[in-house]
Amino acid sequence: MNLNITTDKTHRYDAIVVGSGMTGGIAAKELTEKGLHVLMIERGREVKHIEDYDTATKAPWEIEHRDFITVHSAEERWANRRFGTLASDATVEFMTNDQQNPYEEKRPFDWIRAYHTGGKSMHWGRQTYRWNAPDFEANAKDGYGVDWPIRYEDLVPWYTRMEKFVGISGKAENLAVLPDSTFLPGMPMTPPEQHFRDMIDKKLNRPVTIGRVANLSKAQPWHTALGRASCQYRNKCVRGCPYGAYYSSLAGAIPAAKNTKRLDILHDSIVAEVMYDEKTKRAKGVRVINQHTNAVTEYFARIIFLNAGSMNTAALLLNSKSNRFSNGLGNESDQVGRNIMDHHLGVGANATIDGFEDDYVFGQRPNALYIPRFRNWGNDKQTAYLRGFGYQGGANRSDWKRGTAQDGFGASFKQEMTQPGKWSIGFGGFGEVLPNPNNRMTLSTTKKDKWGIPLIVFDAAFGENEIAMRKDMMNSAMEMLDAAGFKNITGNNRQDVHLGLGIHDMGTARMGKDPKTSVLNKFNQVHDCKNVFVTDGAAMASSSCVNPSLTYMALTARAAHYAVDQLNKKVL
Amino acid sequence: MMNRRNAITQLSLLLGGTLSMPTVQAMSRLEKREIVTPINSNFSLTNEQRSLIAEVAEQIIPKTDTPGAIEAGVPAFVEMMVQDCYREPEQQSFMAGIEQLQQQNFLSKNGAEKVDMLTKLEADTKEQMKTYQVKQTKMGDNEDKEVMKAQLKGLPFWRLMKELTLLGYFTSEKGLNANFEYVPVPGKFELIKLKPGQKLYAY
Repeated sequence: MNLNITTDKTHRYDAIVVGSGMTGGIAAKELTEKGLHVLMIERGREVKHIEDYDTATKAPWEIEHRDFITVHSAEERWANRRFGTLASDATVEFMTNDQQNPYEEKRPFDWIRAYHTGGKSMHWGRQTYRWNAPDFEANAKDGYGVDWPIRYEDLVPWYTRMEKFVGISGKAENLAVLPDSTFLPGMPMTPPEQHFRDMIDKKLNRPVTIGRVANLSKAQPWHTALGRASCQYRNKCVRGCPYGAYYSSLAGAIPAAKNTKRLDILHDSIVAEVMYDEKTKRAKGVRVINQHTNAVTEYFARIIFLNAGSMNTAALLLNSKSNRFSNGLGNESDQVGRNIMDHHLGVGANATIDGFEDDYVFGQRPNALYIPRFRNWGNDKQTAYLRGFGYQGGANRSDWKRGTAQDGFGASFKQEMTQPGKWSIGFGGFGEVLPNPNNRMTLSTTKKDKWGIPLIVFDAAFGENEIAMRKDMMNSAMEMLDAAGFKNITGNNRQDVHLGLGIHDMGTARMGKDPKTSVLNKFNQVHDCKNVFVTDGAAMASSSCVNPSLTYMALTARAAHYAVDQLNKKVL
Repeated sequence: MMNRRNAITQLSLLLGGTLSMPTVQAMSRLEKREIVTPINSNFSLTNEQRSLIAEVAEQIIPKTDTPGAIEAGVPAFVEMMVQDCYREPEQQSFMAGIEQLQQQNFLSKNGAEKVDMLTKLEADTKEQMKTYQVKQTKMGDNEDKEVMKAQLKGLPFWRLMKELTLLGYFTSEKGLNANFEYVPVPGKFELIKLKPGQKLYAY
């Protein structure tokens, strides 16, 4: 390893943001807009918005292996390929090469990564929900984890700010369990979905709403000002959108931050360590390794935001050792790397639908339905498990793909395959995972990556609560499909799903009131090193069951404004 | 036949493939054959075997008033896919299926005989898939995976041929454009009523 460290005093910024993904982007946007000069550091390659979405406009026949990947790619991306469609020929080059970026599994952990500008915000599912008020009280009520140091009301203005910036399509329902966002127009439900919604309302008194999704159903002036346009209903979002119609760090936050002319971005630059100054008792900067040349450079700033992704952020804290913090920066509580949460999935049901034969759609809706949590909510009390789950899914008409599982071949078979098949419908659950200190990641004491950074070792698994919840997730999905009068109902509950596969991994540097049992305070500051802010998923003290990105972004914007305020007051 | 795979396929169809929903997307993991076998690919075809694949593909999707599998380039697509995207168990079962048809002199049979042979092959494959299905289910239930792996054979030839022929044909430039209305940029999402004889949309 090259140890010629460049310590250039000109490498000084007001703020350093580690990571360019969902929260790194927002941190950079908010800090630069408040007047700070920011250095954003991305460990992976540069992806230029639109220009580098090289498969985005390809026709089906131009994607060589279609939705498959080669055996060679599958070997290289041994973890990423565990997640179905993210491992397709159209996206594989954006997903991290796991052979070159290995990790260890004491127990299996499905770690899905995208090391490039924008990170996973380029490939995310875009389902966007506020947490509800009781979500922030769950730990205090049932005693798992530590109490959140904030409540729903603390985040409301920041939710609103982020929703407006991001652009969320959805329908206001006025439900306490799923608080409304500031919405762009919602997308339509298909007739079988409307039927399902009506039957579930009538028979089970449960709401079903159209998914709330970060696609611009109607671009607003502040979106178009950033070069974003309305959704074209291609549903090829995962390849990157040439219209900037779905929100990503690439399409939204980074352009906004660049507009201030106060943002510098480094690519191919792995932050190996946050450097701590024993005299000032503050972090002074970061040590960075170029992933190609191995050159080491130090950068300095008054505040540092860690947005590397929950697992990498925790690894960075653990790897930042000093006299003051011998177990890793801010880790006196020994909570860094613990309490890994995610949403457990791969469980639900599907069915076929008779009728609706002349109903069809034009365009591809990048969205489906959402069924908010109904368990352990209101009058419902489950004895088998705590907390709850939501469902996502919807109805589609089958196409030629049904032919593989159908008898026949020849001219009439071919003709049949050009006609629409039956409608079918399916839902999959997203379940809350309890915080458990024994679900953790540590740094390997023996193995390092090619840059000399210790490998992450995962040792985590679902517990009894999640396993019990999954049974109900399958059964309740079957019950709802039955209530709607659908046929051929099949339940599924995959046993080979591990923590991580929800790609909502979180919790490894939790917020809390007590420095003895938590890593971050109520403004996402490391308790004992106040100029370091952690605002990615690592900060989460519990997981709720709704998709987390909006909450991460809201926490980030709130922390960024607080940080600037503290700088202005000379507290930091 | 294959309830589990059917279920998975249907569910993934529902969501158009790229929805947020890891649930569904993750399910295709099973389809993508999470079976670790050393890569030791000796897969290669003779010209006679290539002709045989072309003939089977054309039997599945023949030329009618629209192009057939051969015209759409399916045979080369099938060969590429088996070579690039499948591991040894599938490559072996694929070769076994070809060799079986060679032994039966498939290429020299008349049209009706070919249809009979493939009809029987489809029926036999259904039986094989039942066994395969049981094994898959057991694997999913986390029973002794090592034993299961050793016992697990590749998907049968006909099953591979049919899936790859359909995929290759309906996503080919000729096959897609001849049978569907290609709409790369819909620009809107609308609920509509199908008109008699209307072509379906492809995106």
